[in-house]
Amino acid sequence: MSPVHFIAIPLFAAFLIPLVGKVSKNLVKLIPGIVFLYLSYVAITLFPIGIHKPIVEIIAGFKAPFGISLYYGPLAAFLTTMITLIGFVIWLYSYKFIIREPIEKYYMLFMMLITGSTGIVLTGDVFNLFVFLEITAIAAYSLTAFLRDKDGAEAAFKYLLIGSFSSTFVLLAIVLLYANVHTLNMADIATKISSVPLTTRIFILILFLMGLGIESEMFPLNGWAPDAYSQAPSPVGAVFGGIVVKASIYALMRLIYLMFEFQSVMHFLVIMGVITMLIAEMSAMRQQQIKRMLAFSSIGQMGLVIIAFGVGTEPSVRAALFQMFNHALIKSLLFFAAGYLVFHSGSKKISALDGLGHDKPITSFFFAFGALAIIGLPPFSGFWSKLYVLLSVANSGLFAAVALILFSSVVEAIYYLRVVSRLYFNTEVATDVRRTPVSGLVAMGILTLVILFVGFYPNLVLHWMTPAANELLNKAAYIKAGLFH
Amino acid sequence: MISIPYILLIAFAGALLSFVIHHIAPKLRTPVALLTTVLLLYFVWALPANSLINIKIGDFILTWGTTAYGQLFGMLVAVLGFFTVLYSTDFMASKERLGYFYMNFLFVIGGMLGIVYSQDFISLFFFWEIMTWSSFMLVIYCCKDAQSIGLKYFVFSAIGAYSILIGIVLLYSSMGTLQFKNIFGHINEISTGIKISVIILMIIGFGVKSALMPLHVWAPDAYAVSPSPFTALFSGALSKMGIFGIGLVLFKLAAHTGFYSYVQYTLAWIGGITALLATFYAIAQTDAKKLLAYSSIGQLGYIIVGLAIGTPLSIAAALFLAILHAIFKSMLFMATGAVYMRTGTTNMTEVSGLIRKMPISFVTALFGIITVAGVPPLGGFAAKWMLYESLIQSGHYFLVIVIFAASTAAFLYLFRYIFSLFLGQEEKEWENVKEVPWTMQIPMILMTIFVLVIGVFPGLLLDPISSAMQYLNVKPFDYQMSVLFNNWGGKVDMQIVVRSIAAVFILLGIFITIKGYRNTRYVTTKDIHTSGEIPTENENLTYAVDFYKPFERSIAPLLKASIDKVYTLTGDIFEQAFDYLRYVYTGNGQTYAMYVVLFLAILLLFSELIFGIIL
Amino acid sequence: MIYFITSVVLILTGMYAVLVKKNLIKIVIGLSIIDSGVHLLMIAIGYVKNATAPIFSKPGLTADKMVDPVPQALVLTSIVIGLAVTAVALSLVIRLYDHHKTLDINKIRKLKW
Repeated sequence: MSPVHFIAIPLFAAFLIPLVGKVSKNLVKLIPGIVFLYLSYVAITLFPIGIHKPIVEIIAGFKAPFGISLYYGPLAAFLTTMITLIGFVIWLYSYKFIIREPIEKYYMLFMMLITGSTGIVLTGDVFNLFVFLEITAIAAYSLTAFLRDKDGAEAAFKYLLIGSFSSTFVLLAIVLLYANVHTLNMADIATKISSVPLTTRIFILILFLMGLGIESEMFPLNGWAPDAYSQAPSPVGAVFGGIVVKASIYALMRLIYLMFEFQSVMHFLVIMGVITMLIAEMSAMRQQQIKRMLAFSSIGQMGLVIIAFGVGTEPSVRAALFQMFNHALIKSLLFFAAGYLVFHSGSKKISALDGLGHDKPITSFFFAFGALAIIGLPPFSGFWSKLYVLLSVANSGLFAAVALILFSSVVEAIYYLRVVSRLYFNTEVATDVRRTPVSGLVAMGILTLVILFVGFYPNLVLHWMTPAANELLNKAAYIKAGLFH
Repeated sequence: MISIPYILLIAFAGALLSFVIHHIAPKLRTPVALLTTVLLLYFVWALPANSLINIKIGDFILTWGTTAYGQLFGMLVAVLGFFTVLYSTDFMASKERLGYFYMNFLFVIGGMLGIVYSQDFISLFFFWEIMTWSSFMLVIYCCKDAQSIGLKYFVFSAIGAYSILIGIVLLYSSMGTLQFKNIFGHINEISTGIKISVIILMIIGFGVKSALMPLHVWAPDAYAVSPSPFTALFSGALSKMGIFGIGLVLFKLAAHTGFYSYVQYTLAWIGGITALLATFYAIAQTDAKKLLAYSSIGQLGYIIVGLAIGTPLSIAAALFLAILHAIFKSMLFMATGAVYMRTGTTNMTEVSGLIRKMPISFVTALFGIITVAGVPPLGGFAAKWMLYESLIQSGHYFLVIVIFAASTAAFLYLFRYIFSLFLGQEEKEWENVKEVPWTMQIPMILMTIFVLVIGVFPGLLLDPISSAMQYLNVKPFDYQMSVLFNNWGGKVDMQIVVRSIAAVFILLGIFITIKGYRNTRYVTTKDIHTSGEIPTENENLTYAVDFYKPFERSIAPLLKASIDKVYTLTGDIFEQAFDYLRYVYTGNGQTYAMYVVLFLAILLLFSELIFGIIL
Repeated sequence: MIYFITSVVLILTGMYAVLVKKNLIKIVIGLSIIDSGVHLLMIAIGYVKNATAPIFSKPGLTADKMVDPVPQALVLTSIVIGLAVTAVALSLVIRLYDHHKTLDINKIRKLKW
């Protein structure tokens, strides 16, 4: 068993799906499910190994630093498991949700996205990272426009426009890095980076920050995000919020912690995180469309994650990872529920949701549940991660950031609860005879259970967070494992 | 077997079960909810005094334990929880979404029980938030109007909860622990600035729930709009959680600091002003529930005064009043709810003369207002007596005047309340009104008996209170089962008082029966002397219209200058500003690209400034 | 040196097109120009004067007589990616034109705020 399966199997499936599509559409729908079941098997077998001792896999027989290597340490183990879980749930949800042809293309792109994201998380080579970023991005552009409508195309084009900037910056940074250190292996770069002149280093850092900052929705680089989230089909919104953005922020943090350790970057990240969070939450306040609101909320949550990463202590990195995990789950749940709410009400507007709580009690319940969880109310998992973020930020003495996080939480509570209380009005609504399909409900049910379970037993996740955080912070160990495994 | 985790488990499992069962077998959900509260009542009552349990969750050790102080409030919650759920069985019978209702109701009860048994700040906050969101869910239960009211409630609660949280975070970052046992008594180990901030933030946080002015604006609307059984619990038990928290902060944290007297003084005055202003507002209300809501705010003000003064007697008075207020305010809200159930309104200008139709509700309301007014022989007298006594003893003469004024003014609204709903002319409209079902009568009757007994034997309640005070490190004070002392040797023996009052009443009753029985004449609305002016058909002639017109006119400026408007304005300004802010997302892809390039340019130009410092 | 200058000029030209031109096609062309600039830069980094292609074509050829092969490999990959992005971009432009009947980016801004 090797971590390369995480990349190869979805990639293989992505190529297989169009071929199978010629034979049977139903089979196409099943393939991603099988892939995810297999991946979870891989994850379960590899997880206990990777969490103790990183697995370094060499591709094509060239030893590091010459060949491309995969690095499956605790952090990658955690993230790939998370991606597998979210991916599985998204597939389950899409099973009945994506009814518009061509479904085989949807699943093909979805599988490519999974390939790209797991690739980003696993790779130990910067250029390979770029390639996976691009695979993810191209799949994401296409998925945004999947519905073939006017708005979808517009959103996708904006995403592509900004996304191209992102890839240009990342590529430039990699080129400059290579020109200076003549290696692409991340561990190798980390050892040699100190010989690079300071101005060049800062220039490279800025390029990485810009490039990956775009993908991880840092303000003011996140203009694409609200459009893409809101116009893509609902499960794709969950893919973006739960997988793509998480992989990008991982890449950014990995590079920053590995290569640029100066304190001032951390301060910069905290400030950018606060600005991102505040502006996003404030913009979400008066949104008319539910999915756009969720998009802004996602950006806000990413701001929170960036803050916690920026603080850069072990508890804060742990809190950031925990928050990432919870946000991935909860935001997926919200997108799922919103998807069916939009479907049943026949409109993307929030104002069309009045009284759906009576007509569609289960879907509405899931939405309310997700809303409470993401605001950070107990006993849901979001409570703990927010608390951890706050405590770790406060322990570094950044009380202003604590206050601002809580301020934005109040704002968040307002706009979420506005929607929730709309759902639970006592108004008569025209009953929509269509039922929410079981697969969608099961998907939401799984997420709900996980959220609740982690809420009561955060150690389940936190336990694995400590080695993951240490991996990110402990540069020497990474270099050692990456170069001389 | 009987331990705190089971109590919480019962509450939350019962909540979920009643929600699930609503969708499977709707008939069973009310029995399930009722059974849950009965079990809770038994478990809380039988809970051993020294149970303590540690639960490791995340990095924290959550400690739950019983203290005399917590148990006092725990009993209150359990009893009120049982009564209100019993009351709901018939009150809510015709309503929709009962699964939702009972689930959140039991969540609130569970949350409150969690709060009182918490022995560390994390679990306190944990349950505090559960209580907050589930009560929010109940506030928005009723109708469309409830939406914005509920949101207001939640925003204030969130601000309160988050100021508590900042306090907690400050404590954690300076002490590294959140266990009560490590914090209480060790507060002086941290710097003064942090101490002051923690105490102020926590008092603000708990003050929101106990509707301390100027943080009270959510209360009247939220009380008025939530379903009556919940209003009883809301005003009775939920607001007491704020008092519980303030008690903890005052006596366990602030009491050990150098600036304790300033905290006391400020808080006492805020409490006094709250009591006075709330009473004025209450007088001007036409809606019975809002009237009671303002009355609650006023009573909470008294309690705060008592706590803040900090002498043993005043604290005893405050806790006594806290428990008593929970009971009598529930009685009043239940009586009002009964009226609402039968007439469909709580507007005092519409309902009148229900005394003969709903005698039990009337008696409950009557005893309720007698208790509020602090007239012997009911419990309110003992509470007020102790409060005045302690204020005079400790030399807060101005506060006595304020409190006394508030207390006297309270008669006005109490009179208006009972008069307009139950007395006055009988109207045709309410001819077919019946008394409420027995499930609603029982809690009302039991609580009526309770206030009566407590009035005669205040010592029954003072026993647990004095052990609670021991936990709060307050010196004990003198009392006997039915005798109240004052410090210059005088005493009031409640039994004598009761006997004399009973004697007077019996004599009066006999007198009135003999004298006036034959001459009784029932009047209707139309039975009036109009001095030549003939009232039109659609003129509301109910006595309660413009009940206190001159008084209302005199306090009109006060009513107009409501702090609520300031908050609303601030909220609007914020929201408008947020709205402008989102215009940065212009929708033009090129603009976004421009942002990217500009940001790059800024980073490059100021790279020295931003990244130049290398540590 | 001339390569570096040219590549920077190309990148800036591309950026100019993307930021200023209103026509979607021109914006896509701009993106391609940026790409070309970056690619040129990559090649320039691996360039060694008077060296041959990195293939062991003659017996006596040693590694120090060749240009750096890595950037060339990177460029190939990158060109492929650039092509894919351009293809997606153009297909989106076609879709946009179908819906909006215009290629002016200022008129395609229904999603905002």
